[in-house]
Amino acid sequence: MENDGRRKFLGVCLAGATTAAAVAAVYPVFRYLAPRSSRLGEGKLVFAAGDIPEGEAKFFEYAGSAAVLVRTRTGELAALSAVCTHLGCIVQWEKDKQDFLCPCHAGHYSPDGAVLSGPPPRPLAKIPVTVAEGKIIVG
Amino acid sequence: MLKRLYDWIDLRIGAREIVQKELTGYLLPRKINEWYSLGSVLLVIFALQVATGILLMIYYVPDAERAFKSITFIMNELPYGWLIRLCHAVGSNMMVAVLMLHMLSTLIMGSYKSPRELNWLTGFLLFTLVQGISLTGYLAPWSQLSFWATTVATNSASAIPAIGPYLVEFLRGGKLVGPPTLGRFFALHVALLPIAIAALIGAHLFLLKRTGISTPPFGDPETNKPWQPKSYSYQSHPGGIPFFPNYALQDLTSICIYFAIFLALVFFAPNLFFTPDAFVPADPFQTPAHIKPEWYFLANYQTLKIFPSELLGLFVQAAAMTFLALLPFIDRSPERHPLKRPLFLACAVGGILLWIGLTVWGHFS
Repeated sequence: MENDGRRKFLGVCLAGATTAAAVAAVYPVFRYLAPRSSRLGEGKLVFAAGDIPEGEAKFFEYAGSAAVLVRTRTGELAALSAVCTHLGCIVQWEKDKQDFLCPCHAGHYSPDGAVLSGPPPRPLAKIPVTVAEGKIIVG
Repeated sequence: MLKRLYDWIDLRIGAREIVQKELTGYLLPRKINEWYSLGSVLLVIFALQVATGILLMIYYVPDAERAFKSITFIMNELPYGWLIRLCHAVGSNMMVAVLMLHMLSTLIMGSYKSPRELNWLTGFLLFTLVQGISLTGYLAPWSQLSFWATTVATNSASAIPAIGPYLVEFLRGGKLVGPPTLGRFFALHVALLPIAIAALIGAHLFLLKRTGISTPPFGDPETNKPWQPKSYSYQSHPGGIPFFPNYALQDLTSICIYFAIFLALVFFAPNLFFTPDAFVPADPFQTPAHIKPEWYFLANYQTLKIFPSELLGLFVQAAAMTFLALLPFIDRSPERHPLKRPLFLACAVGGILLWIGLTVWGHFS
């Protein structure tokens, strides 16, 4: 009986040590492989107001992902995620139609990111944008 | 739950029969010693080298312009990148060291003798391939050390008459070490040599399974009959100890001892195998002073320096390597106890002392 207790105790110790060793090996590998974009902070980006004329859009990288800054013909400014909410393709700006098209499955979004037609389930995510002293600050 | 899963698998592939035949019923000599576990340690080291190598390949860029920067990025910016890289770099040195010990124990215990000539030959080929994979990997960081050590190493082939200069150019992919050298060394290091090593390990283990484990020459002789070169026979060990759990525990102990030494080096002496030139990017127009190869090539390096003619130095090394490779065919006596083979023991000890002497001389010359 006492022998069984010792055997069980040693078994538990061995299992514990093996688990600790496995965690010690797996954790550095996980951290090594973890995507860098998730470690990047969402800093602020500054554009000159003249960079985005009316009716046009500018694509850029923001927080490790694709984003777009658009100024409508009426002068409204919006910063949006350029990642389609359907299956993750990057939307394109259709200057003539003044809307966003996702070429993968023909999803259409308005300049403020609302779904106009097609399969996207949600609007494009909005990114904070401010204008001060002739500069556009995104983020 | 586990038992039911095991039963399910057993019903389909006869797992219990395999376990009985290959593990619990696989009997080893009763007086088997710790040295027999070095093969298992080497398997673990090779697996670790493959795993860390794959992890390094994710961020390493095999391009002369960006290789050093990518290594610096892995070492300084990626979380635990330093650990993965040091495990790979220190592991390559440890693999050569453990391989040497494995061969040394085989030599001293006479396990290379009939009917195990092929085991020795495949092991010897593995040793040369491991040296090759270490040499080709040495260039990868594209540091001053790797660049100039590769220049010196590849240049030694130029002493071969007639084809030497062309051979050097062929090895380098140009007249000097440069971006084409990195391309071909990288392909050798990550594809061709690992596949060749894995295939040879397979052949080595196959031969081990077919011939059976040798009995250590120490202590009371075993009752089984000596090998007769008339027909094939597997050397079994009736009344021996089972591989699992008895010897598997010895394997595990040796692996744990290895990890203790290996991790002590990684954490407490990470720069043991690096000189200051390893931290400077390669500059093809700036040769550093006293460039030296890795420790396991120092004896070869010093031999080349001793002889007045480089060709003679290469010839002596080639002769020594050929002698060692063909040893089972030269030393044919069935006696395996080292103390009952005075000539062999004298040559072996002399050879080891010579190798150590040349290595130390090479280091300080």
